[in-house]
Amino acid sequence: MIAHRLRFESTHPTQFIDLTDRIRDEVRRSGLTAGRIHLQSLHTTLGLAVNENEPLLLRDFAGLLERLAPGDGTYEHDDFTRRIDVASDEPVNGHAHCRQLLLTGFATLLVEDGELVLGRWQSVFAVELDGPRQRQLAFQLDGDFAKRPAAHRDDLVELELTRLLMVDPEPVAAPMRRLMEAGGKRLRPRLVQLTAQLGPQYEPLRTAGLAAAVEILHNATLVHDDYVDESTHRRGRPTVAAAEGPERAIAVGDYYFAKATRLIAETGNNDVTQTIAAALEAICESQIDDVALRGAFPGDHDSYLRVVRGKTAALFAAACASGAQLSKAGPEVVDALWRYGDLLGVAFQMADDMVDFSPSSGKPVGLDIRQRVLSLPLIYAAEDREVGPEVRRLLAGALGDDEVARVAQLVASSPALQRVGDEARGLVEEAVRELEKVELNGLRPTLIGLARAAVDRDS
Amino acid sequence: MSAMVIERELDRLEGLWSEGLAELYRSYLEEVGRHEPELQPRLALAAALVEVGVRLQGLGAAAAPPAALLMGDLCLARSSRILTDSASQPIQVAFARAVEELAGAAASSTEAPAVRQLLIRALAAH
Repeated sequence: MIAHRLRFESTHPTQFIDLTDRIRDEVRRSGLTAGRIHLQSLHTTLGLAVNENEPLLLRDFAGLLERLAPGDGTYEHDDFTRRIDVASDEPVNGHAHCRQLLLTGFATLLVEDGELVLGRWQSVFAVELDGPRQRQLAFQLDGDFAKRPAAHRDDLVELELTRLLMVDPEPVAAPMRRLMEAGGKRLRPRLVQLTAQLGPQYEPLRTAGLAAAVEILHNATLVHDDYVDESTHRRGRPTVAAAEGPERAIAVGDYYFAKATRLIAETGNNDVTQTIAAALEAICESQIDDVALRGAFPGDHDSYLRVVRGKTAALFAAACASGAQLSKAGPEVVDALWRYGDLLGVAFQMADDMVDFSPSSGKPVGLDIRQRVLSLPLIYAAEDREVGPEVRRLLAGALGDDEVARVAQLVASSPALQRVGDEARGLVEEAVRELEKVELNGLRPTLIGLARAAVDRDS
Repeated sequence: MSAMVIERELDRLEGLWSEGLAELYRSYLEEVGRHEPELQPRLALAAALVEVGVRLQGLGAAAAPPAALLMGDLCLARSSRILTDSASQPIQVAFARAVEELAGAAASSTEAPAVRQLLIRALAAH
């Protein structure tokens, strides 16, 4: 089952708004092949109707409603002296409520072969009875879905990434293409795509462009990171710095940093641009802190959180907020999503730290130890009464294969990994609570599932 | 731009001010006369940060050590943020294109136009 909201704006006191094409689009986008779409008005002065979209007929309908419940008639509902708890902006609209009684607030339409079933002359209308106003319909789709209903959205981002890299000079495009093709979870673009469905102006192509730009930005930061960390491999392949040399890595990182910021500026949405620019600045500042803290390796919990909030969580938060901003969601939704992304980003990094100690991850165990990268399991192990003294002694010296293996063994034998796992899951639950504060058009279960999956992983 | 605003925009980059950033800033101030007076200092600082940033990184030359690279990254990010706060969309886009052109040339080992020339062109975008 998929649940969502359809938002629109009326421009006249009485208006028949044809939503047929938008409902058809929702059905196609959902991947529903056979089943039903249920529509429900969320307002007491907005009705639903299935009828013919012929202008003179629509005037007949409006005339009928006017005759049955005249706008200048007398309605007890409009006598505010006799009502209690009347809002200061309460409209005089008894006629509109009475007209709504003549219509329906619900409709169920059938879907067959992935298409809405409608007769030749049938259109689906929202009937505004007290406009102009911002309105929304709730809808649910249930039945049989194609196997990957989200495939279109994912494919759009992959197509956009391919298209964007295709036009770049080969010396920068080739290394970036190799990095992108090697994998990556594409979590940040996924967050952009999900949150971009929350406002009244969801545009799939524009959203895919922003999602791709955010992914490019993330990968550009990785190219520089790998040079700074002296990493030889990422996603199972040589890093750009290792394969092409540091000069090329710096140029590739700069090129895509600039290209991503240009693409984002070209969206023409200043809120989005500012959100991403602030995140980028936070990332760069925390990278400097991260390197500075390596002198006090493994560091402490507060320093860890400060660095991770910038280094990882800033772009998660910006991805969530910018998607919502692109679709013109309200500020309370944007703020809640930013906090959700921030908490999810920190939890994600904690889970990533744990992967370094997992033999089943497919990555060499202890890479973070060897590179002296800030890591919460190491911080907790170094604080542990049992293993802490030996961990601290080993980390203070040169770290060869034997020392790295011993530290990894000590961390695994301590409660450190359990503590980090508990903390990460706690943050995810905190993130989920942020989602409970706002209306999310039926996307809450998806965002919750995504957050939980981000920490329950071993790669 | 008041001294307080400059101070805030130079957070973590203070050391660069006396090492050439101030001089570059003043030189770009001479190139932003066509913009609104309150925008001029921000645009000049954004341009100066890009020029210092790519120099710190060693873009198109020998790679900078990690600490200098990160400082250069922060200069570029700060410049970008200043532009999003204050500049028009064409200027934001033109600045990004300038860095794309520099980085593309550096990766291709071809001669890039002078940074200053590119940035002055970007400042004139509309």
